[in-house]
Amino acid sequence: MTRTRFLSLVALAVLPATALATPPDAEAAKRGAKAFGRYCISCHGTSGDGRGPSADWIDPRPRILTSGTFKFRSTPSGELPTDDDILRTITNGLNHTYMPTWRALTELERKDLVQYVKSLSPRFAAEPQGKPVAIPPRPKFTKELTAKGKEVWNKVQCASCHGDGGKGDGGSASTLRDDWGYPITPRDFTSGPLKVGDEPEDLYRAFQTGLNGTPMPSFAESITPEESWALVAYVRSLRKD
Amino acid sequence: MMVRCLRTAAVLSILFAFTRAEAIPAFAKKYGVSCSTCHSAWPILNQVGQNFRDNGYQFGLGKDDPVTLSNAYVPLAIRATGAYQYTKITNQLTDAGNTDVKTGGVPTPGADFLLAGTVARNLSYLVVAAGFTSDEPAAIESAWARVSNIAGSSWLNVRVGKFELDLPASSHRGVSLLADYAVYGATNAGIPFNLGENQTGVELDGHNANSGTRYSLSVVSPNEDPGSSGAWSSPTVYGHVQQAFDLSNTVVPWARVGLFGAMGRLPTTFETSGGEPMYGTGTKLKPFKRAGADLTAIFGYPSTPFLVNATYVYGKDDEALGGDPGNSFQGGFVEVNWVPVSELEYDATPWLVFARYDAVKYKTGPGDLSGVTAGVRRYLALGPRASMALHVEFHQDKVKGASSDFTSGDPLDVTTQAVMLGLDFAF
Repeated sequence: MTRTRFLSLVALAVLPATALATPPDAEAAKRGAKAFGRYCISCHGTSGDGRGPSADWIDPRPRILTSGTFKFRSTPSGELPTDDDILRTITNGLNHTYMPTWRALTELERKDLVQYVKSLSPRFAAEPQGKPVAIPPRPKFTKELTAKGKEVWNKVQCASCHGDGGKGDGGSASTLRDDWGYPITPRDFTSGPLKVGDEPEDLYRAFQTGLNGTPMPSFAESITPEESWALVAYVRSLRKD
Repeated sequence: MMVRCLRTAAVLSILFAFTRAEAIPAFAKKYGVSCSTCHSAWPILNQVGQNFRDNGYQFGLGKDDPVTLSNAYVPLAIRATGAYQYTKITNQLTDAGNTDVKTGGVPTPGADFLLAGTVARNLSYLVVAAGFTSDEPAAIESAWARVSNIAGSSWLNVRVGKFELDLPASSHRGVSLLADYAVYGATNAGIPFNLGENQTGVELDGHNANSGTRYSLSVVSPNEDPGSSGAWSSPTVYGHVQQAFDLSNTVVPWARVGLFGAMGRLPTTFETSGGEPMYGTGTKLKPFKRAGADLTAIFGYPSTPFLVNATYVYGKDDEALGGDPGNSFQGGFVEVNWVPVSELEYDATPWLVFARYDAVKYKTGPGDLSGVTAGVRRYLALGPRASMALHVEFHQDKVKGASSDFTSGDPLDVTTQAVMLGLDFAF
């Protein structure tokens, strides 16, 4: 390693996080405010604090965008989502929630909304956005893989929240709260797609990243990629509809 | 002369149409969203609203089925307008000669009662009862049921009942409270068929994920069907295809083009009962047709759109149905709806400015129409429960040869002017 390259790496290592942050594009965010006022404030509130006039009666409650805490990301646990993560949620909506799909909006509006959502939390100006976790190619879902997934299910104690049959009725389910103290229900794996999507990769990603702001942890450090795919195979086998 | 009178009647009937425009706050209540989610400005549907409607009143995220809702939820919406209106119509025939009719006041407000929603996943419905005034008794304006996403495909949806055709601009969701789209009701033979009126029949329609590509194919018995014998009375086929383009720039971010047409056959002879034509006995069916194209574009930022819709229609009714031999018509409208601001407030889009130019020109004879409509709506409330707007509108149109001189019988043009100021509300 040359001396110059070494010094460059040292300099990068000691850079403050703000230097690596990717704050919102101001012009796009300004445009996005118009779309936010039109489409989002009924639930997310005028300041993005999740206290719009509809917030109290919809379940689950709308995201508190000022917190910079996002459940559905491709980035490691605790980190900020990528722009594409936010765009995906806006475009596709979230199953089993009142967050509708906004794919009928123009791409311009949706991308501007991403920038405006970023502007609502100071975290995006202070911290770098995370890098997407790698998702290895999907294996063939065999009986053997599903059986192995059952072992992983037991190993990481999924049943304590999601229940033995995956119905979301585990022993601790009724005690769970999100980071803001609101009750939160574990996913019922027997019915319907995940909130974030219905592809096996969506499940894999959730196991790797966890869901920030909820009791659902990341298993990136505790299970291997092979075990993660096996868990995906088992969880999908629980689906009854 | 009969054709001339029918055309005149069609023009005059566009007035006092206070309750024509639909919007369904029941959906805003169901999902907790603002009216501006689905409407560029209530009642004009935007692409999100179009997609929601195309999906059978579903967002498709597991909260559409009524069993997921509170028992207190009732899928009912009410729409009414109370307004002062002044109208002047020139060259009207009286027993004493020609005169201009000038009158004003607050017409008895009509009301729309709308029930709409989903029975279960992919099963939706709409029932609209409208009228309820001494001039316009209550009637079922729309009533249909729809099966959506047949075989899991958004390209296969079937609707049965009485419904509005998939028009370039909705006659029942237009922002004007004074004037319908004149070209929809144009006819060179005086036939009752009006594109803008709801028809009874079956519609097959489909769309892609964001409703950028859409089609609609309907087989109907047209409004005011005189009744022909056979398996399908006065068979009429209507089709419309549209393709949108997401251009993603801040000058013209979105545009859509469409083609549409209708072909129908109406009876010309009937069995009579008491001298009156008997419904269902009509024979010797003769054709009528409509064909057209539409262009819609957004100028400026989509959330504060300057929305332009230009529609052209050509029409021809067989001379056996009435009117001058070889006659036909063409016309259309150019409509502008502008939402100048969108703010970070619960009434985010407080203003709508609208204007429209209508024209109909016949190949021969009287009836040519040109008209302008313009107005402003100031939304006093536009939330997830209900809406109210202060509505100011002016309309003027001129119909060539729609009246006649009392003494000479020579044709006279009729100019209609109307202005209204009122409160339009939906809950």
